[in-house]
This record gives sequence, C-alpha cells and structure tokens, in this order.
Amino acid sequence: MADTPIPLEVRNIKKRFGDTEVLKGLSLAAHKGDVITLIGASGSGKSTFLRCMNLLEQPDEGELIVHGETVRFKQTKHGREPADWKQVVRMRAKLSMVFQSFNLWAHMTLLENVIEAPVHVLGKPKKEAIEQARALLDRVGLSERADAYPAQMSGGQQQRGAIARALAMDPEVMLFDEPTSALDPELVGDVLKVMRDLAKEGRTMIVVTHEMAFARDVSSQVIYLHQGVIEEAGAPADVLGNPRSERLKQFLAPKH
Amino acid sequence: MIDLHGYGPRLAEGALVTIELAVLSLALAIVLGLITASAKMSRSWLAHRIGTLYTTIIRGVPDLVLMMLMFFGGQIGINMFTDWLYYQFDIDIFINVNEFVAGVITIGLIFGAYMGETFRGAFLAVDSGQIEAGRAYGMSQWLVFRRIRFPQMMRHAIPGLSNNWMVLLKTTALVSVIGLSDMVRVASEASKATREPFTFMLIVAVIYLLIASVSEWGFARLQKRYNVGYREAD
Repeated sequence: MADTPIPLEVRNIKKRFGDTEVLKGLSLAAHKGDVITLIGASGSGKSTFLRCMNLLEQPDEGELIVHGETVRFKQTKHGREPADWKQVVRMRAKLSMVFQSFNLWAHMTLLENVIEAPVHVLGKPKKEAIEQARALLDRVGLSERADAYPAQMSGGQQQRGAIARALAMDPEVMLFDEPTSALDPELVGDVLKVMRDLAKEGRTMIVVTHEMAFARDVSSQVIYLHQGVIEEAGAPADVLGNPRSERLKQFLAPKH
Repeated sequence: MIDLHGYGPRLAEGALVTIELAVLSLALAIVLGLITASAKMSRSWLAHRIGTLYTTIIRGVPDLVLMMLMFFGGQIGINMFTDWLYYQFDIDIFINVNEFVAGVITIGLIFGAYMGETFRGAFLAVDSGQIEAGRAYGMSQWLVFRRIRFPQMMRHAIPGLSNNWMVLLKTTALVSVIGLSDMVRVASEASKATREPFTFMLIVAVIYLLIASVSEWGFARLQKRYNVGYREAD
C-alpha cells in the first residue's frame, strides 16, 4: 500500500458555515485502487467533506494534494480562496463527480453530456470522444438512450448516464455524492452494480453513501463521520463488523 | 390602389432605417443587459452599485428626455473633449453626433437596463446543480457560462426578451424628434405635404405590425430551440 501512488490526499480539512464548524480537521488519503466509503448520519459533514475535495466548497483550513500537486490558497476578504483558478480547473479535470441529483445538463442529449467535458476541457477530437462515449454508454447499459434528453430518462438511467459522463474524463479519482439517495428503490440496484464493476476494475473511488451493503462488500476503507469528526475508520470488517463507539453501534443498528 | 404621391421609396427607406435602428439597438441592449445582470449579481460592492445606479436612472427618466439629452448633450460633451484634445495635444478633430448613432446608443442604453433585469431573473432561474456539474468537470468560468449558463438562461429569458424587443421597436419612433428619417418622420412629412395623414400613418402602423408579427414568429422558434430537452409542460 505504502508505495502505491496517491492520486488524492486531504489533510486537516476544516470548514465553517457561519458560526458552526461542520468539518473539524479531517484527513484522508486515497491510494490507487482504493474504494473509500464515507458514512454517517445526515448533518455529519460527509457530503461537505467530499465537496471540499474538488473545491465545490472552499475549506477554511487544510491541504489538498491531487496527484502530488498541492493546491495553493490565498486569503481574501471573502475568506480563503484558491490562489490560482487555472490550477483548480486542472485538478478538477482529474476528479469526476457523480451527484445525488445527477445534474446531467438538461439542454444536451445524453451523448452530448458525455462528450462535453472531454471535448471542451480535455480538448479531445469530437469523433474520438463520440466513439468513447458510445462505448461507455454501452457499458452502463444505455446505448439505446444516447439521443435522449435527461428529462426523458428515469432517475436510474440518468445516474448511470452521469457515471458514463464521469468515466469519459478518465479520472484519477471518482467522487460519488450519495449517488443512490434520490432513486426509487427498484432503480438503486442497477446503479450499484455499475459502481461495483468500477471498483472491481480498480477505479479509485470515494463514495458518500447510505448503502451499508455496498460499503461492506466493496470498499477497502470505511470512514464513519460524526459531527465533523472522523469517529472510526478502517477496513469494513472492523468498522462495520466490530464497531467500537456507541454512536456507530447505534448508527448501524437496524432501524424500524 | 393607394396613392402615395411618390413617397413610396422614401417610406421604404424609412422602414429600413427603423429596422436597422431597432436591430442594432437590440444588439447593444443585449450586451449591456448581460453586463448589467453580471454586475448586479457580482459580489463586488462597486459593480453592484454601478449596475443599480444605471437601472435606476434609466428607468426613472422618460425615454424622450434621455434621447434629447444624449443627442444635444452628447454633442456638447464631445465638443468639450475635442477642444481639450486640441489645446492639450494639438490634435484637431471634429466629431459630429450622427442622429443614427445617437439613436442606437440611446435606445440601446435604455433597453440595456430592462434587459439587465430580464437576464438577471433568468440567470437566477438556472438550477445551481447544472453549474456545479460544469465546475466539477474542470470547466473554466467562461466555459461554464458559454456552454451551460447562457443556453439554460436563454430559455427563461426569451419571453422577457421578446417583450422588450416589441417595446424597443416602438420606441424607435422617438428618433424622428432628433431628425432621423425613420418611417415615422417620412410619414409625418408626407402627411403634412399631402394633407392625407390617415393614409400615411395607417401604412406606418401596418409596417410596424408586420415587423412585430415576423419577430413574434422568430421568438417562438428561438423559444423552441432553447426549450430542447425540457418537457413541454414546464
């Protein structure tokens, strides 16, 4: 483990919203091939933590290292901000995010969604991007929906499409922000299956989720957050199978 | 057949002036509107204040007054500037305020303020998740604007835009007071000369209606284009 490359590392991330400190110094290192799941009750800060990793939220303190490159910050009157937005843009292109509410671009077809960032951000030739996109849509079982608009697709299809869009960037790390929480129960399975396949092929993933079965079976590391603090972290068998803290025991107890 | 007493060609020229004036003013108003909307949504205090000052002044002063201020006041201002250039740097130029340019600038300035409000509302209506997705995929601010914010904003802006355009089109009639030969001025000259005001004004009214109808059709097509991907119902 120690000598595998570290595509994403965060150190001592702190974040305040107004007077409330929602993240109280969180660190994490994703080695190549890691699947790290973040679990915790709502309000524990897990989504905010994930959003700090690609700077959709600006952490007030802490370091962010993407593929060995440390993101530079500066203080402004609006708080701490990246010193060089070009660096942020470059770094974000290496991390793809899959959102809870899919966020496929509504004015583009599915195929256009998948080729958008590869063509306009990475500068890939359009023809090549389309070929790649068709292969990816085939992989997530959506080859027939390439010309559909997001509004014409089910939630599960949209989320699988969003995963294809994320894969098209050939990202170093994929960030999943509660990818199944907005889905009807019968649609969750297809999305999770795609994610399991990605884990199996060695994709580095950081997943915020409420799906305990996924966390247990797929992840290499589980992190339990409580009120902005990492309460327990480790192999899923330890954290989920043998929780030490009372809070985690309660969190994992079957709910009625 | 209606007897135009030979004013036909001049009326046609006047109609062309009206259309040119309206289209160029619209282009200027759209640019100013986008800038104003950005300024008003900016977190910079100064930009916000300048944007607000601009819309307050424009919306509070009658169009006709603004137009005269711009035409006559503009000439005085430019004369002062060229005088200053002459005394300071020995540069001798003379710029005459052209009625057409003054018209375009005034109407563009007036409607830029209204467009600013239209665009601001439309930008705010774009779902923030759509923009976040763009940022998360490494798009620069400009790319997010060009590829996501602008096309999605237009869908919300077109009804207001089309409304502003209709009012703008009719506002062009005001330029006849600063001496520009648009179709209203030609018609009013013809009316006086022939003592047949009804004939000429009716023709003018029909031409305005015609332009309005064609634009309504055009806006409906634009609306359809920017609605692509959204359900008809919403």
